[in-house]
Amino acid sequence: MVKSMTLTMNPALLENAKLANEPRWLSDLRQQAWQKIATLPMPIFAKINYHHWPLLDFASESVVNVTVPESVQSQLASYQFASVGQVVAKIALDEDLMAKGVILCDLQTAIRQHSDLVANYFFKQAIQFDENRLTAINAALVNGGAFLYVPANVEVTEPINLLQVQDSRQSTNFVNHTLIVAGANSRFKVLQRSQTVGEVANPAHTMVEIVAEAGSYVKFSALDSFAKQTHAYINRRGYLANDARIDWAVGVMNDGNTIADFDSNLVGNGSHTEMQTVAISTDQQTQGIDTQVTNYGRHSEGNILQRGILLGKSALVFNGIGKIIKGAHGAKAQQENRVLMLSPKARGDANPILLIDENDVIAGHAASVGRINQDQLYYLMSRGLTKEMAQRLVARGFLGVVLRDIPVAEVRSQLVDMIERKLANGQGTE
Amino acid sequence: MATLKVTDLHVSVTDEEAKTSKEILKGVNLTMNTGETHAIMGPNGTGKSTLSETIMGNPHYQVTQGNIMLDGVSLLGKTVDARARAGLFLAMQYPAEIKGITNMEFMRAAVNATRPADDPISVRAFLKELDKNLEVLNMSDDMAERYLNEGFSGGEKKRNEILQLMMIKPKFAILDEIDSGLDIDALQVVAKGVNQMQSPDFGVLMITHYQRLLNYIHPDQVHVMMGGRIVKTGDATLATELEAKGYAGLRDELGLDVDLVDEDVTTGNGGR
Ligand SMILES: Nc1ncnc2c1ncn2[C@@H]1O[C@H](COP(=O)(O)OP(=O)(O)OP(=O)(O)O)[C@@H](O)[C@H]1O
Ligand SMILES: [Mg+2]
Repeated sequence: MVKSMTLTMNPALLENAKLANEPRWLSDLRQQAWQKIATLPMPIFAKINYHHWPLLDFASESVVNVTVPESVQSQLASYQFASVGQVVAKIALDEDLMAKGVILCDLQTAIRQHSDLVANYFFKQAIQFDENRLTAINAALVNGGAFLYVPANVEVTEPINLLQVQDSRQSTNFVNHTLIVAGANSRFKVLQRSQTVGEVANPAHTMVEIVAEAGSYVKFSALDSFAKQTHAYINRRGYLANDARIDWAVGVMNDGNTIADFDSNLVGNGSHTEMQTVAISTDQQTQGIDTQVTNYGRHSEGNILQRGILLGKSALVFNGIGKIIKGAHGAKAQQENRVLMLSPKARGDANPILLIDENDVIAGHAASVGRINQDQLYYLMSRGLTKEMAQRLVARGFLGVVLRDIPVAEVRSQLVDMIERKLANGQGTE
Repeated sequence: MATLKVTDLHVSVTDEEAKTSKEILKGVNLTMNTGETHAIMGPNGTGKSTLSETIMGNPHYQVTQGNIMLDGVSLLGKTVDARARAGLFLAMQYPAEIKGITNMEFMRAAVNATRPADDPISVRAFLKELDKNLEVLNMSDDMAERYLNEGFSGGEKKRNEILQLMMIKPKFAILDEIDSGLDIDALQVVAKGVNQMQSPDFGVLMITHYQRLLNYIHPDQVHVMMGGRIVKTGDATLATELEAKGYAGLRDELGLDVDLVDEDVTTGNGGR
């Protein structure tokens, strides 16, 4: 672990990140976080060396481009919320839902119109700003994001879909923070779609906090496809109160290097999470994905399922971390991490890490790093499928577990298309 | 009419660990035309599956001599998928299980593999055909939606091989012990499926240990294989004769020098 590199950051970054008319609490948070950036360590990703990545190469002159490109315009119909960099392209929440008190807006609007509400949750329950250098960066430099609040007892049947585009048509900072609050006994589905427009190399910092209050049920799915030149740090964390549940289904389909941290804190008794992730690494790409469940509550249950495919000379590491805190009687923690290597030059790794500090718990893990089964391939080919087609089928089947849980048909088919494209082109030049 | 012709075929397998090579087929000759039904019988371990896998193009088996030709064109340089697209089909003795791919999605991909890329079968036509064939084979719709062979019983796997056969409609099908593990009713159902395929444009080669299958699918020619060769060819009565004599009996009659693993059992039974 690298403790802390000496780091000097241009103070203009802090000034430039500030949103218009920020409340005091936010400016204070930024200031506190800013002061800690230099001394906090980078987050730990076992078996991934990312410290030389340009994750902190921020633009001191961050330019805002207010035009929404056609490639984004054409997608808007599927989303209730859309942003391109710091520009909000769409907010359209059902009137019914508004009448029930559901709030969906960009972060800037949220801190102006719902300052106290946001202050209760923002870097308060799920993620702490001073956990590591990158959480502090997010707190200090956040310049966009979304806020979704579903009040107690409100049930939303249709998924709420968020499109958040990194604007790399010019040099700009993308430090995004989305806050999702599920009031007690609320139920809803939310989808976060992240992507890049433009060709400029900018880092992407994206964070999601989900606070699931007692008895609520959130189905969260995400599909990330940041561009090849983007180095991404993704952090998504759930905080679950008594009997709350969050089901995660995340497709990490970035073309560039990525470190991602997906966590659920099962604080409440009887809280429950299912965390599913699929990822594909291609060409020269490196991706490190940590999924962690921490059981604090009695009879809390967390299951991790991670599946990944590697092509070309890429690397993909899944760390699955199951942590059971003393007092979490009757807790359950299971995990399965599997990677499939379609290229002899790829480097895959699947590490289950169990840290258990209570006795009457059930915990288990399965992990595998394998190559495609030759008998399966032969069988498929013996029916006329080309080797490439047969491999694609096996690979798609391998990832299929997560596909089912993406609520929006269009995004599901986008994910399938992305998988197909990566499987077809991802071996790179060998 | 299409012709599948195997001439003087010698095949070896290499033991990966011991790095030793063993010859299994020692000069097989066989000619089949579409419109014909052939059966191969022979003792365990004599090379029947080796012959079928080699015809299909399983890379485990090395052809050291001889040829396999479809309509005068050698298949030896062709990969398994190319042979399948050329019209060969092998119902395997031990089909693979593949989780995450539905039976239906696989069969559609297989049907489309022999069609031009810009002319895939319509979903509707495919489903119609699928329904029809499921019915012939007494298979329920959900078998098509399950993952490919995953968790299928032995008999269900065999039925599923025949379902694929009926969907893909090859020129030549080799059925490797399609009758093993089938109960009596299932045997008739599977036979019905195969018989429905019969046409002047379809030839079938059945590998079996039991004369009973031949009561349901009537062969034009029966071949007996022993010691890596076809040692005798006849009509359907050869199978009956074989049941009476046993392989040792036939071997002695032909004056062959072949070891039979279960010789004592056969003679001890009073098989001759
Ligand atoms: N991949 C392989 N590696 C090593 N030996 C093999 C391999 N395949 C077949 N053999 C050997 O070749 C011989 C012939 O096997 P084959 O499966 O062709 O027999 P068979 O006639 O189909 O027998 P059965 O009636 O039991 O199905 C056997 O001794 C078998 O052990
Ligand atoms: Mg056999």
